[in-house]
Amino acid sequence: MPTEYTQLVAALKALTQGETPNTVTLPMAENEWNTRPDADSYGIVALDFEADALHGDDIKCATAYEGSVDLFSRKKDGDGWISLICGALTDHCDGAWSLNSHMYERETGLFHWEWTFQIEG
Amino acid sequence: MPYKLKVEGMDSITDMLAKAEDAAPGIAAKALYKGAGIVADEISKGARGVTTSRFKYANGWQRQPSPEEKEALLSAGAAGIAKFRHTGNSVDTSVGYSRSGYATIDGKQKPVAVIANAINSGTSFMKKQPFIRKAVSQSKAKASEAISAEVERLVAEILK
Repeated sequence: MPTEYTQLVAALKALTQGETPNTVTLPMAENEWNTRPDADSYGIVALDFEADALHGDDIKCATAYEGSVDLFSRKKDGDGWISLICGALTDHCDGAWSLNSHMYERETGLFHWEWTFQIEG
Repeated sequence: MPYKLKVEGMDSITDMLAKAEDAAPGIAAKALYKGAGIVADEISKGARGVTTSRFKYANGWQRQPSPEEKEALLSAGAAGIAKFRHTGNSVDTSVGYSRSGYATIDGKQKPVAVIANAINSGTSFMKKQPFIRKAVSQSKAKASEAISAEVERLVAEILK
């Protein structure tokens, strides 16, 4: 695992310790093997694939991994987690992130934000 | 002592440049079509690699798309290329499933674009398989290379 990614995951998991909008914590699942947290708002962070790589002299010199952060919330405003997640991404991804999509699931009544980020491995 | 420089035969070159200027939008569109095709092919390849599962609720939120949903993606053909938009000197397009129509899933008509989005981004009850995002990220460099190669080829053809 790239160290920057582990730092990002730690930061996302630590979101609950700092100044939070309320005392409720944001359950955060890391990658697909964890079970889904059962809560009003929860997040998922995962590394998805290798986005790009720099090769030199038959050796892989640098790699960029692309990952995503998903926030599911029953609240329209994301329960205040949006700005906190954006802050964590800015701190750990050097600004190489973007809000990829924002959707509403009619069946479950959940709002879904998806951020993608790239991290050097 | 001042030197005098004189270039002769410039008329033909200025003619050629004028011709190239007229042809520039066409060249850009042709080259962009080539690049967009590479990205669309990669997306279609990624759609073939989507894993499916018959068990709808067995894995809880780790549900995978059903074979019918994958079939909808595949039968929609290659991911389409949108109509080219010319704005000023630039030309742009989008690649995706937005014009792929509808598919029948469980007796209901569902837009293929929505199915593709649900698989690509995941939902609260389905694991994400980012085949579109992966294809775009990984073929971006290849596509821009192909575009510049095509531009060079077409310009050389005109300036012959």
